Amino acid sequence: MSTLHVLSHSPFADSRLSSCLRVLGHEDAILLCGDAVYALTPATAARQTLDAKADSLQLFILDEDVKARNLTPPDWVRSVDYPGFVELSVQFDKVNTWL
Amino acid sequence: MPHSLLIISRQPPWSGPNAREALDIALAGGAFDLPLGMLFLDDGVLQLLPLQSAAQLQQKDLTANLQALSMFGVEDLFACHTSLVERGMSPNELSVEPIQVLRDHEIAELIDRYDQVITI
Amino acid sequence: MKQLIVDGRTIALDKDGYLEDLHDWSNEVAQALALEEDIALTPDHWEILELLRAFYAEYQLSPATRPLVKYTALKLGADKGNSLHLNRLFNGTPAKLAAKLAGLPKPTNCL
Repeated sequence: MSTLHVLSHSPFADSRLSSCLRVLGHEDAILLCGDAVYALTPATAARQTLDAKADSLQLFILDEDVKARNLTPPDWVRSVDYPGFVELSVQFDKVNTWL
Repeated sequence: MPHSLLIISRQPPWSGPNAREALDIALAGGAFDLPLGMLFLDDGVLQLLPLQSAAQLQQKDLTANLQALSMFGVEDLFACHTSLVERGMSPNELSVEPIQVLRDHEIAELIDRYDQVITI
Repeated sequence: MKQLIVDGRTIALDKDGYLEDLHDWSNEVAQALALEEDIALTPDHWEILELLRAFYAEYQLSPATRPLVKYTALKLGADKGNSLHLNRLFNGTPAKLAAKLAGLPKPTNCL
């Protein structure tokens, strides 16, 4: 069964992103929204960790949260809007929101 | 057959409401016979340290309440090995027993097995 | 606020009739609480009340019905640890009523 992991907290404040990456299954994906999109900030450990997994990681980002923060996502990441977010939630067997 | 639910508790015991809320979901679900599992991850494993003293903080005793999980029918309890090691904790000295200590890839499989997951 | 008078002592109760202060409990208080519920306490009742107080001492919470049944079966055997026996003793709502008579808080995880 596939899981969509939804993160919304800054990767600099807490371990949600690194823990999520540790326990991620083969069919799973991550969606970054809210402050979690700061993980895309260039020259940070979080961004480097993500880029190093570009080949294997299914990573989605919420477009408006990225644009609001003037961040530029790398090419290998897929941007979605809210309808896209809803579609993803249905596509995956379950959604795990890291509250 | 009701959907199975995995509750991932990843906050420490005394500094906020999250650990209590995760436990309340487990106890309520257990009282209604739902198939539940509970995984302690990240700072959540700090709930499992022995000999903590809620009375010092005039709080309800979360660590005593955790012992009631099996009475409420919640017997599938798990702790993250990596989180324990990071915090200098020994898998053999946890206050909740029995509990299965899992490696990262086993946690991925665990999440996979449940119909629904909530992380608090 | 509700209250109960036992041997000239005033015992404070919450709006549902549970003891405000767990330390106010005594055998006489239990009997007075039971009287309010039209229950005459028998040895069968007392052993469940004592069991509940042990449960609370161990886990710091009042059990819902299912854990009460399980704990009773564990400590007193299956002929007492079943809902039939407990329902008969406590008017069909053993978790709530037995907790009240044992001086414990109202169980939060049962409807």
